[in-house]
Amino acid sequence: MAPDVSVAGDDVKVNYAAHIRFWRRNLKTFLPRHYTGNDANRMLLGFFILSSLDILGDLPSALSPEERQGYIDWVYHCQLPEGGFRPAPVTNFGAARNDDNKIWDPAHLPGAFFALLNLVVLGDDLTRVKRRELLLWLTKIQRPDGSFGETLGENGQVEGGNDSRFGYMATAIRWILRGNLEGTVDGIPDIDVNQLVKCIRSAETYDGALSEAPLHEGHAGFTCTAIYALSLMDRLPVSKPDGRVRGLTNLPMTLSWLVSRQTLTIDEDDSMDTLGDETDSAATCHDAHSFVKLQEYPSLQGLNSFEGEPDSHAELQWVGVNGRLNKIGDTCYAYWVLAPLFILGHEQIIDKRPVRRWLLEKTQHMVGGFGKASGDHPDIYHSFLGLLVVTMFGEAGLQDVDVVLCITNKAKRHLESLPWRRKLLGQNEEQSHETGG
Amino acid sequence: MPIFYHDDPEWSDIEPLPQDDGGLHPLAAIAYADEYSEAMGYLRAVMAKNEFSQRVLGLTEHIISMNPAHYTVWLYRSRTLSELKASLHDEIAWLNPTALKHLKNYQIWHHRQTIIDGINSPKGEHEFIATMLEQDSKNYHVWSYRQWLVKRFGLFDDKEEMRWTEDMIHADVRNNSAWNHRWFLVVGGRDGKTLPENVVKREMDYAKSAIRKAPQNQSPWNYLKGIVREAKLPVSTLKDFALEFADMRRPDDIYSSHALDLLADIYAEEENGKEEAKKALELLASKYDPIRAHYWNFRKGLLDQSGVAA
Ligand SMILES: [Zn+2]
Repeated sequence: MAPDVSVAGDDVKVNYAAHIRFWRRNLKTFLPRHYTGNDANRMLLGFFILSSLDILGDLPSALSPEERQGYIDWVYHCQLPEGGFRPAPVTNFGAARNDDNKIWDPAHLPGAFFALLNLVVLGDDLTRVKRRELLLWLTKIQRPDGSFGETLGENGQVEGGNDSRFGYMATAIRWILRGNLEGTVDGIPDIDVNQLVKCIRSAETYDGALSEAPLHEGHAGFTCTAIYALSLMDRLPVSKPDGRVRGLTNLPMTLSWLVSRQTLTIDEDDSMDTLGDETDSAATCHDAHSFVKLQEYPSLQGLNSFEGEPDSHAELQWVGVNGRLNKIGDTCYAYWVLAPLFILGHEQIIDKRPVRRWLLEKTQHMVGGFGKASGDHPDIYHSFLGLLVVTMFGEAGLQDVDVVLCITNKAKRHLESLPWRRKLLGQNEEQSHETGG
Repeated sequence: MPIFYHDDPEWSDIEPLPQDDGGLHPLAAIAYADEYSEAMGYLRAVMAKNEFSQRVLGLTEHIISMNPAHYTVWLYRSRTLSELKASLHDEIAWLNPTALKHLKNYQIWHHRQTIIDGINSPKGEHEFIATMLEQDSKNYHVWSYRQWLVKRFGLFDDKEEMRWTEDMIHADVRNNSAWNHRWFLVVGGRDGKTLPENVVKREMDYAKSAIRKAPQNQSPWNYLKGIVREAKLPVSTLKDFALEFADMRRPDDIYSSHALDLLADIYAEEENGKEEAKKALELLASKYDPIRAHYWNFRKGLLDQSGVAA
């Protein structure tokens, strides 16, 4: 937060107690039935819950040693005999699992990514992770075009999307299990880094963003995860060419696209840059939620979202963030847009204060957590990403985070201190904690 | 009406496989409805046996209605359809209302691609897409799917496709998805080859007329700049046009912050243009786009560092 001029609203606070209550409830009691559409995303939901409590500094007191071990065991319960993780027990056939049916219970990329993160946050040493198998499998779900899929299907067919989300998760798994090393390690081949960089470059759009696939529309989620993948492979642009294939061929244009996502349209009735023909509305802005493949949550938002609120056009106290051109502000996009600016080292080109104020005054909910927009009930997804953003902004009382891995730096240091990993990376006792993310 | 299987004679031969949630401390456990838990138990049981039958189609429909993001149920359904040699047209007829219920689901679209690929014809798909876009004219999946259709069936130069795209832009000139689709047709269809001069002119004119309708709409500005870059023309090509909306001699009469932004780039490339460029950026920071003041100041700083435009 810049200390220069204080503007009204700078004194608005994170409601720590409410957030802790919200996340503890999510951890300790059954999630409501409307989460059924996310039954196959439980590893992700669990991660959002655990990492939030860690950010709030509450995880040590929230978990008894027995509970901590219980959650670790649950994650390993989702590990497959042949290596890799399922993202939830939904497909587990138990004793009935065999070579003929395991194709319907396959290793799953987001499942493995969030499983590893959960283990790290829970303080596990990852020694029960079938590391070799997981890394080998990673090379098999990469397609010839460089993209990664989600699972291996029949006849080794790579199933699932081919966008940068999966490139991000694959490179994160790689970084967690083998750091920045390139090439064959321990007899396990590397993924094709150059090909993935080329694939990401092919999805650059004419306006400086990244999209799901070549020539598709620019989208903040794909832009963010593409930048993360490049960062995890150390392939972000550098000022002097060094002969390596790098991503983001027009950085100034990408920066311009990212800052353009700040918007005063935080209410569907806002019409500063809309005409009567504007068809976007608060009710039609769920693309990020399917982006991480979450199903929609029930939303109060609609016509009554901002009833009685004063018109905010002329004021800059609240600045929202959207995910594409001419869309409405949404909590989760504050993360997808601002996080890559931090990774690119350009976070100073946005004014954090009005975004913080929008989050804390408009989308933070009094029962804890964040909703998608003002008046919305909090859900796990927006609550986690909203919390990450205020943490990134340096909010007092929150544990600082690694923006790319979405875990506290404390948890990341735990990962980096693990003996097997230090040995693999050739790190001796003196040079600890130096790895970038 | 919930559907149950335990007392259904058609399913009496199946012993459901209940979910094994692994011990006392499952993460993110959900308060399932009995209906869902039971149906999932039957799904696991049939999957474990690799049963591909008519009743499996019904069961997968039932699961999908409750949890469309289940990642293997779709693959299992596809395999069942192919084992049964089921009618793909029937499948599409079922998918249509299902997609409308789950507008933001990814798997549905992937499944649809597989089926339409098998049918080998895009017939009826445009009507379906129109229905979907009526719900949400910027639905990312729908536009992505449309782009898949264009590619799969070679519709880049199809006159109807372009006319439809223009209708979508006409209906909402701020629909960036529609603008992007135009780019997809015009540039994507050329597969890396240079745009012919007449196409460059046509596209520039098209974007310009949209800007004149709503100068503060960023979509056609980005499109216009994109075409100029794609055609390898200098950005100064757009100077006169930008001046229509932002004449720096009349700083109170600015009609578009995007014109000022563009002018800042154009001036920065001109000899002795730095001061004008700075003026444009200052106007943006102080008056015409203050929510991005930090960014405009950053751009101003770059001007001082070098002669190169940001
Ligand atoms: Zn959102």
